[in-house]
Amino acid sequence: MSQTVNGSAALAIRDLVVTYPGPPPVRALDGVSLHVAAGECLGILGESGSGKSTMCRALLGLVPEASVAGSMRIGGRELSGLDEAGWREVRWSRIALALQSTASLNPVLSVGSQVAEPLRVHMGLGEREADRRVAGLLVDVGLGEWAAQRYPHQLSGGQRRLVLLAMALACEPDVVVLDEPTAGLDAATRNGVLDLLGRIRAERRVSLLVMSHDADALEVLADRVAVLYRGWLAEMGPARDVLDDPRSPYSWALLNARPTLASVKDLRGIRGNPPDLTVVATGCPFLERCHQAREAVCAGGRPALAPPLGETGTRVVACARGGVVPLLSARSLRKVYTSGGPFHRQRTTAVDDVDLDVREGEVVGLVGSTGAGKSTLGMLLVRLADPDGGTVTFDGTDLMAARRGQLKALRAQIQMLFQDPFEALSNRLTVREVVREPLDIQEIGDASSREAAVRRLLVECRLPADDAFVSRHTHELSGGQLQRVALARALILEPKLLVADEAVSMLDPSEQAKMLQLLKHLQVQRGMAMLFISHDLSVVLRIADRVLVLDGGRVVEEGSGGALLVAPRHAVTRSLLAASGRDVLFGRGGREDPGPTPNVVDLEAYRSLGTHEDKSHEDESQGGGWT
Amino acid sequence: MSADVPTAPRGGRARPPWPRALAWLGGRSLARDLRTLTLYGVTMWAVVTLVFLLPRLMPGDPLSALDDPDSGTFIYDDHARAKVAAYYGLDQPLIAQYADYLSDLAHGDLGWSISQSAPVSRLIASRLPWTLLLMGSAVIISSLISFALGVTAGWRRGGRLDRALIVGSSAARAVPEYAMASLLLVLFAVLVPIFPLAGAMTPFARYASPFAAAGDVLRHLALPLAALSLGLLGNKFLLVRNSVIGTLGEDYMLLARAKGLPPRMLKFHHSGRNILLPFITVLGVQLGFAAGGSLFVEAVFAYPGMGTLVNGAVVARDYPLLQGTFLVLALVVLLANLLVELAYGAVDPRVYR
Repeated sequence: MSQTVNGSAALAIRDLVVTYPGPPPVRALDGVSLHVAAGECLGILGESGSGKSTMCRALLGLVPEASVAGSMRIGGRELSGLDEAGWREVRWSRIALALQSTASLNPVLSVGSQVAEPLRVHMGLGEREADRRVAGLLVDVGLGEWAAQRYPHQLSGGQRRLVLLAMALACEPDVVVLDEPTAGLDAATRNGVLDLLGRIRAERRVSLLVMSHDADALEVLADRVAVLYRGWLAEMGPARDVLDDPRSPYSWALLNARPTLASVKDLRGIRGNPPDLTVVATGCPFLERCHQAREAVCAGGRPALAPPLGETGTRVVACARGGVVPLLSARSLRKVYTSGGPFHRQRTTAVDDVDLDVREGEVVGLVGSTGAGKSTLGMLLVRLADPDGGTVTFDGTDLMAARRGQLKALRAQIQMLFQDPFEALSNRLTVREVVREPLDIQEIGDASSREAAVRRLLVECRLPADDAFVSRHTHELSGGQLQRVALARALILEPKLLVADEAVSMLDPSEQAKMLQLLKHLQVQRGMAMLFISHDLSVVLRIADRVLVLDGGRVVEEGSGGALLVAPRHAVTRSLLAASGRDVLFGRGGREDPGPTPNVVDLEAYRSLGTHEDKSHEDESQGGGWT
Repeated sequence: MSADVPTAPRGGRARPPWPRALAWLGGRSLARDLRTLTLYGVTMWAVVTLVFLLPRLMPGDPLSALDDPDSGTFIYDDHARAKVAAYYGLDQPLIAQYADYLSDLAHGDLGWSISQSAPVSRLIASRLPWTLLLMGSAVIISSLISFALGVTAGWRRGGRLDRALIVGSSAARAVPEYAMASLLLVLFAVLVPIFPLAGAMTPFARYASPFAAAGDVLRHLALPLAALSLGLLGNKFLLVRNSVIGTLGEDYMLLARAKGLPPRMLKFHHSGRNILLPFITVLGVQLGFAAGGSLFVEAVFAYPGMGTLVNGAVVARDYPLLQGTFLVLALVVLLANLLVELAYGAVDPRVYR
C-alpha cells in the first residue's frame, strides 16, 4: 500500500464505505482501499453482488441515496463530500464511466448527439467542432463516422458497447471506469473489445478501472487485479500472481470454480450462500464460507491487507491466516524397503525425495502406475508407516515428532478411505458399529449423540438411516454401499484431510460416478482437503484441483488437470494419458511434438476407444466380483 | 453509408425520395404513411356516411314528422306532402339520396339552415375559425404548461411542489369545463372586471391598427381559453409526471447524470424526449374532448364559435345545421389526429424501424 502515498496515483480510494439506507441498511462497500496509477489498468474481480456496480457509481458521485464515507481522490483532488455542482465538474472531465448495460444509451437521441453532449458541456465546443470530434472518436473505437447518425436500436449490442466506450473517452478523462466491459458479448466481439481497450490504454495513457467477473478478460487486460467480496478486498496484486496463483481463500475458491476449455474436473461453486449484505461482518467477511477458517483466529477482527505467508512481493491478501495455507506439507520424504536375506539384501526405494503440499480445501490427485509408490506415500503422509527421511507437517504440527496422545488427536483430523471396504471393515461389525467406532475411540459425546451422528452421516453419504440398515452386517451390503459406509466412518470425526487410496477403483462405472460426485460434494461442503490416489488418470482428472504424477517413487510432473491433459511434459504422464485414450482425441501433444496438432478426430479410433473403455470397465467390475 | 452525405436529415440514413414535408413529418417509410392516410380516408368516409344515415335512422326528426299521420305536423294534402318530400329528396331511394349528399358535399354544399335561413357551409365558415382559435390555443397552452410542470414535479417527486400540483391538477380535472367557465366569468369579468363578459371582439369597435385588433381578440379569448386549458391540463400533467418518474430509474438517465450534464438537459432533453411519445398519444385522444369542451365553454361566454352554433341548432331542432356542424367538427378532430400520428415518427426514431 506504499504506492498510495505516491503522488502519481491517478485514483486513490481509502476506506470507502457505502451504505444504502434501510431498513435494514445494506452495506455495499465495506472499507475498500486501492489506487490506480496513471496509465495503469486495475481489474476488480468479483461475483455479482460483491459491490462492483456500487463502486462504479460511488466514484462518480452517483449514489445520492446512500451514505458514503472514506476518501476518493483523483489526481490528488478529494471527491468525497462534493456537492452536485462539484461532481458535475468532475464527471466525465476527470473520471468517465462505461456502463455494462447497452440500455444506457438514450433510445430517442442519435448516437452522435449523445457522444457530443459531454464535449459541448465540459469542453465548450461548438456544434461543428463537437461533431468533428465525435466522428474521430467513433473511428477510434472501430466504428466509423456513419455511426453518429444512427439511433441506438439500429446498432448491435457490441456496437453499442463501442459507442459507450467512445463516449467515455470523449473528454480525455484521467480515469475510465468500465463496468463488465465484456459481459454478454460473443467471443469474437469480446476479443475485439479487449484488443481495443488495450490499444486505447497504450495510446492515451488513461487509467482504467475494470469491474468484471470474467477472470480471463482481466488476465488479458489488467496490470493488477483486486478481488472484491462483500464490499471488501480479499486480495490485490499483479494480475498474473492473483489469477494464476490466488492466495486468499476466497479468490482461490472463486478461481478454482472457473471453467476453462481444458477443465475436465467437476466444477463446484464456493460452499454456502452469497453473503447477506445487511449484516456487517465483525471478523473476516468470508468467515462463514471459508474452507480454512479457524474461529479463534478469523472471528477476532477485520484482517488487514498484507503479503501472504512466505511472500514478500507486491501482492497482498486480507486473511488472518496469511492466505491459503498448506494443511499437509511433506519435504524430502523417503522410504526404502529392504527385502531378501542377510547376504543378498535388496533395497527398493518406494518413495524417493518427495515434496508435497496439500492446501486447505484442495483436492490433490496422486497418480501413477502400479508400483510407483502411491500407496506408500499415502501411508507415510498419515504416518501409518515411518519414513526413512524427510518431514511431514500437518496443520503446523510435525507429524514425525508427534507423541502418542498428540498423534491420536491428529489422526482425528486425517482419515483414510481404502480400495476394498470388505477388507478394510470388519465383517463382524454392524453398520452402526463401523460408523460409530471412531467416536468411541476418540471418546466424543455420549451414546445418544453418537447414534445421532451415525444417522446424520449415513444420510449425508446418501445411505438409508433406518434401524434395519444400521443393524445390518457389512457383508450384507453391496460394494458401493459399503464404500459409502466407509466414507461415513471416515467423515464422522469431521477430518480436515481425507486420504482416498484407490477409493473408487473397484466400483462399477455407475457406482464410481456416484461416489466421485458424493466425494466432491462432501469435500466442498465440509471445506476439507483430499488426497486422491489412483492409477486411473481419467478418474483423477475429474476430481482433482491439482495432480501429481508419481513414477519410481518420484514426483515427475505436477499441474492442474487441464494443463496435464493439454500439454503433458513427462513421458510417464503421456503414457498414462495414452492409457486413458488421450491421443485418440488430441493427437500426440506435448513438447516433443513440434508439428501442429491434428484437429481432425480419428473417428475409427474414437469408436474403438469407446469399446475399449467399456471392456475395461467390464473387466474391472468382474475383477471386483461385486454387484 | 451516409458518411458521404453529412447533411442528411437527423436520423435519416439516406435522403428520402418523397417530398420533404412528408419526410419532416417523420415519414421514413412512404408505404407506412400511405397506409396511415388510407386508414384516415376510410374513417372520414365512415364519418360522412354516419352523419348521412343517423337522422334517417333516428325517429322524431322534423321531416319524418311531415310524413307521419300521428304527428302534429303531418301534411294532409297528398300533393303538398309529395312536393315537400321531393324537395328534400325523400322520394328518392336511399342510395340516390346518398349520391346526392356526396355530390353536394363535394361542392361544399352542406345544406340550408332552417332556423337561420342561410347556407350551412357559410354559417360554419364564419364560426369555425373562432373555435379553431380557442381549441388550438387551449391545446397548445395546456400542453406546454402541463409538460413543463409535469417534468418539474416528476423530477422532485414527493416534494412540496409535486404534491401541490397533484392536488391542483386533480381538482382542475374534476371540475367540468362549464363550471370552470362560469367560475372564471364571475371572478374575472363580474367581481373583478378585468376581462370582457362575452363575445370574441368588442362590438362595433374600430381599430387603429391590426395590433389593437389582435389585442382585443386576445382579451376576449383569455377567459374561455383559461377555462378550456384548465380542463385539459390535469390528465397530461399526471401523465408527464409519472412518465418522468418512470424514466428516472433508466440506465440512460444514470449515464446522462454520470456525464455531468446540467439538470435542465437531463430533465427536458433526456427524460423529456422519451416521454413525448405517450404524451402525443394522450394529446390525440384529448382533441375530441377539447372539441366537446369548447362547445360548453363557448356557450358560457357566448363566444361566436361552433359551440354557440350547435347550441342554437339544437334548440331550434335545425337538423341540416346540426348535421353540418357535426361533420365539420368530426373532420377537424380526425385531421388533428392524423397530424399527431404523422408526428410520431419525428418524435421517436423507433416508431419507424
